[in-house]
Amino acid sequence: MAIANYLYLSAILFTIGAIGVVVRRNSIVVFMCIELMLNAANLAFVTFARINSNLEGQVVAFFTMVVAACEVVVGLAIIVTIYRSRRSASVDDASLLKR
Amino acid sequence: MQTSENLLWLIALPLFSSAILLLAGKRANSWGHIMGTIVSASTFTIGVVEFFAMQGRAEESRAVTQKLFTWISVGSFNVDASLLLDQLSICFVLLITGVGTLIHVYSIAYMSHDLDRRRFFAYLNLFIAAMLLLVLGDSYLNLYVGWEGVGLASYLLIGFWNQKPAYATAAKKAFVANRVGDVGLSLAIMIAFATFGDVSFSGMKENIDQASSTQLTAIGLMLLLAACGKSAQFPLQSWLGDAMAGPTPVSALIHAATMVTAGVYLITRSNFVFDEAPVAQLMVLIIGGVTLLFGAIIGTAKDDIKKALAASTMSQIGYMILATGLGPIGYAFAIMHLLTHGFFKASMFLGAGSVMHGMKDEVNMRKYGGIGKFMPITALTFGLGYLAIIGVPPFAGFYSKDKIIETAFNEGGIKGLALGLATLLGAMITAFYMTRVVILTFFGNERWGHKDEPHESPALMLIPIGLLSVGSVASGYLLSRGESLVHWLEPVVNPLKEHHKELLPPIVVSLMTLAVVVIGISIAVLKYRGDQLDKAPEKVSILTKAARRDLFQDDFNEATLMRPGQSLVKNLLNIDYLLIDGLVRAVGGVSISTGNKLRTLQNGYVRSYALMMVIGALALIATIWAVTA
Amino acid sequence: MLTAPALSYMLLSPMLIVFAAAVIGVLIEAFMGRAHRAAVQLTVSIGALLLSLLQLWRIRDLSSTTAAVNSVTIDKAGIFLQATVVILALIAVLLIADQDNFTAQASAIPGSNEEAIALQLKNQQTEIFPLFLFAVAGMMLFPVATDLITLFVALEVFSLPLYLLAGLSRRKRLLSQEAALKYFLLGAYASAFFLFGAAFLYGYAGTISLVGISAAAGSANEVFLLIGIVFVSVGLLFKISAVPFHSWTPDVYQGAPTPITAFMAACTKVAAFGAILRIFYIGFAEAETLWRPIITIIAILTMLLGSVVAIAQRDVKRMLAYSSIAHAGFLLSGVVALNKEGLAASLFYLMAYGLTTLAAFGIIGLVRDSSGEVTDLNRWIGLGKKSPVVGAVFAFLLLSFAGIPLTSGFIGKFAIFSAAYQSGNIALVVTGVLASAIAAFFYIRVIIMVFFTDPVNDSVSIIIPSVKSRISITVATVISAVIGVAPSLLLNVAENFSTFIK
Repeated sequence: MAIANYLYLSAILFTIGAIGVVVRRNSIVVFMCIELMLNAANLAFVTFARINSNLEGQVVAFFTMVVAACEVVVGLAIIVTIYRSRRSASVDDASLLKR
Repeated sequence: MQTSENLLWLIALPLFSSAILLLAGKRANSWGHIMGTIVSASTFTIGVVEFFAMQGRAEESRAVTQKLFTWISVGSFNVDASLLLDQLSICFVLLITGVGTLIHVYSIAYMSHDLDRRRFFAYLNLFIAAMLLLVLGDSYLNLYVGWEGVGLASYLLIGFWNQKPAYATAAKKAFVANRVGDVGLSLAIMIAFATFGDVSFSGMKENIDQASSTQLTAIGLMLLLAACGKSAQFPLQSWLGDAMAGPTPVSALIHAATMVTAGVYLITRSNFVFDEAPVAQLMVLIIGGVTLLFGAIIGTAKDDIKKALAASTMSQIGYMILATGLGPIGYAFAIMHLLTHGFFKASMFLGAGSVMHGMKDEVNMRKYGGIGKFMPITALTFGLGYLAIIGVPPFAGFYSKDKIIETAFNEGGIKGLALGLATLLGAMITAFYMTRVVILTFFGNERWGHKDEPHESPALMLIPIGLLSVGSVASGYLLSRGESLVHWLEPVVNPLKEHHKELLPPIVVSLMTLAVVVIGISIAVLKYRGDQLDKAPEKVSILTKAARRDLFQDDFNEATLMRPGQSLVKNLLNIDYLLIDGLVRAVGGVSISTGNKLRTLQNGYVRSYALMMVIGALALIATIWAVTA
Repeated sequence: MLTAPALSYMLLSPMLIVFAAAVIGVLIEAFMGRAHRAAVQLTVSIGALLLSLLQLWRIRDLSSTTAAVNSVTIDKAGIFLQATVVILALIAVLLIADQDNFTAQASAIPGSNEEAIALQLKNQQTEIFPLFLFAVAGMMLFPVATDLITLFVALEVFSLPLYLLAGLSRRKRLLSQEAALKYFLLGAYASAFFLFGAAFLYGYAGTISLVGISAAAGSANEVFLLIGIVFVSVGLLFKISAVPFHSWTPDVYQGAPTPITAFMAACTKVAAFGAILRIFYIGFAEAETLWRPIITIIAILTMLLGSVVAIAQRDVKRMLAYSSIAHAGFLLSGVVALNKEGLAASLFYLMAYGLTTLAAFGIIGLVRDSSGEVTDLNRWIGLGKKSPVVGAVFAFLLLSFAGIPLTSGFIGKFAIFSAAYQSGNIALVVTGVLASAIAAFFYIRVIIMVFFTDPVNDSVSIIIPSVKSRISITVATVISAVIGVAPSLLLNVAENFSTFIK
């Protein structure tokens, strides 16, 4: 299989994630879409590591996973707190700040 | 060039005094006005000492400088905070401090009933300091600091009685109209810096041939924009009339004698730019010509005595601007008219203030009449100023204005003819509206409608007016005797060595001018003799109506700029137009309404923010594609 | 056989000190009793920042591209940017130390009994100090990072603590939590773009180092480069709140606790602009034809939108948020200039803007009524008459934002527009001056409201600032005033330090 296909897959995953953030209301799902985008980037890194035949891209992938894990910790903390105060995980409900 | 250690004091003294008055608070109420006046008088003394010292030196070594400190020094870019006192700036120093001191004295009496007199003097001192910095700065950047400073002081003083909303609005309008001009100045400075790598007058003058004519034209036009803002020239003139909301001494000092003439100073100081940029110079002529007629026409219809005088100021500055556009020979005459105008207009404003003082702050001339016999001294001094402004020999305006008219005609060709006729026409209208002011105020039937008779003002007010009228009588003769001012300014403005060609002999010009002045006076006398009503007549010609509405200046601004802006925001509630009307209100209105429109993009939903980001990213890609493909 | 990488600890020490202090802070949280925790945490933070500043001073003449293998470059501009972050952080930490801006217990539901009890016990969330230090350390790393992965890690290290800090306001907690959520979601979204772009840059150059990306010019697939530049830019432009990636700014600035807003507004700009300058000046220098037009357009849009929308604001924190957007536009002019003058001007501007911003938000924190801070502009009317000193300082800061001569803002704008002009970007300069004029309009409007309009109600008062806030606001204002009157002090330094090495 041509290696470029992995890039296409990565782009598709990224697009799905990017669109998901815009169309989904549940903040957990929105957050998952962002994770999807990070993983799409990871896939691209690994693919490029293969194409360029060096290891840097793979190292980056590991870093990204760690960073993404930290992001999950922080993100879930914030989402849970706001869920507890509002009894709602919808991102559309959190729209007091505007104009 | 010689250095002098005194220049800093000129600025520092009033600045410190202003700070002390503001910081001392109520404690200074009893002596604040005295200190302010003494400080102003001492700056005048320094000015006089410097003037005589300068006169004693040989012509080429008259200018002195004082370096204060290195302001900005980055790589090749170096701006010292330095002061420069040369033949041009000394004229202004003497005018500012001299007239300034007289007006300080006058204000002691005029403001005596005001609880905030101390603050008023603090602002006056601040103005003196800023204005002196403006004329003493040796680079455009230093000038700019003073330029903003006088804008601020003017703003504070116009809005001095800011408890009245209309006055506060006028203050804002003036401030922001000035900002429009300031954009011009800052652009000019930036272009100058990019062109010359230097913004000092001397540095730019030396390297003037480095610059292309396009660059010079751009600098010139931007400087002209700045001058229009500060000097109330077309199309940025609309604030001056409203600025009359300030106390009358302020109108006399800032909006007649000194600050509004800063534009003339700027153009004269930049003579080396304009002489190399014919397009910009032509624009100067056009602006000057348009404004001198514009102001004069507005002046014919104003019933508010201060607004009539303000319109006249606008028109007289139009003369000066026009003169600066006439090239090397014109600069000296512009400055001469500026100086004589400083005397007679300040004296008339103070006279108007004196009338208002005696008439319970009434400003409507339709409610005056016959005041001459109650206030003889005011009437006399006002009369002298009147004779000076309309240009009756041997009063000051005759010498300065005739020179401008003559030089305009001597331009030759169609241009000379057009300019000459415009200035002549202006002279006729000036004679008309000034006669109207004098008749309505001092002659005719008494129309004030209450029992209290007007009373003459106290001596403290009359003495400054008297001294100023001496100036309005004698200054013209003194300045033009043996062309003394022209020779004095020669090193600064480099007049061409061969003298200008004379198309018309001076006597012919003088006679023509006198003739149109007589016509103007006669029309006014015919129209306004006899008893007048205490209200403005309703049935008037379209021309009068137009003039009463300031030749539609606000309407024009409103229709072209503000209305579309307003219709945009009609559906949005709670729009308060916080600031200013006219052109500035238009800019503000459009900005506010656009701001409100754009504000709705900020709808509070995370998802639409994210969408905006996606669209942004796609737009970036598309743009790059378009640019590189 | 693996050899341990050589690290030059001396050059890295300013960052390492702050990171270490942050870790110590976490340990203090875990093991120290409640009574003295806040004081100890504050001492540790200030001590670490001072020590870090001292180290920066000691390494001021050193430079190396291999400070941490090839991931960190310490050079003149890097040291200046780090010092700027540390100095601003030192001032900000004093504002943050005023504990009554922060919630007593973040986990408690707003309005619950739990919260009331926590308030009664005078509990304090002293975690803000370690979080703050992590953010500072990340901000110090961001502008000196020279490969894509270090950039990404630094970006997250300083962003994650900020997301949390934004949600810790004591009053108006719903708004604060909402700000945290928005900041987090959009920030993570932007990071994902950044990372995706980074992947394509790596694909284009075959290496993740900025120098390598610049060296690959012309030899590789331009489409990868294009996608890479655009997506990396999205991530960076988000952090500096450039249009159209700015929408989080007003909401977050308004909702976050004011001292955090101050810190965020000042230091994030420095760090993010530091990184942008390095990336564009070094990594993308060869591809300038690709990015210069779009960054120019973004700069113009940002200046105009920031200035115009600020006029229509009714909330002082939102107004400053839009002003910060406008300033991002001015600063982007320095990026587009792509010359040494542009870099020097940007360095100066960042310091001047940071100081002014800190002081301005510090003042906002002082204006309160019984229920907390008052940020509604209509209630600021006549404030200058009640408290002339605070009013005058605020007016001075606004004038500096507006760029009136004799303020640091003027010099900054002047320098940055001259640099842009020299690089031939006349449209940018003209728009910039125009936007400044519009901006001046609304700053002056606020000054008029504060000073020249009579107060309508008396419920708003200015609290007597604590010693800490007083020191913080005074220091920031005084430095800002000094570099306005005698700018050559700082301009010369910025000029000397305006070199990136490859």
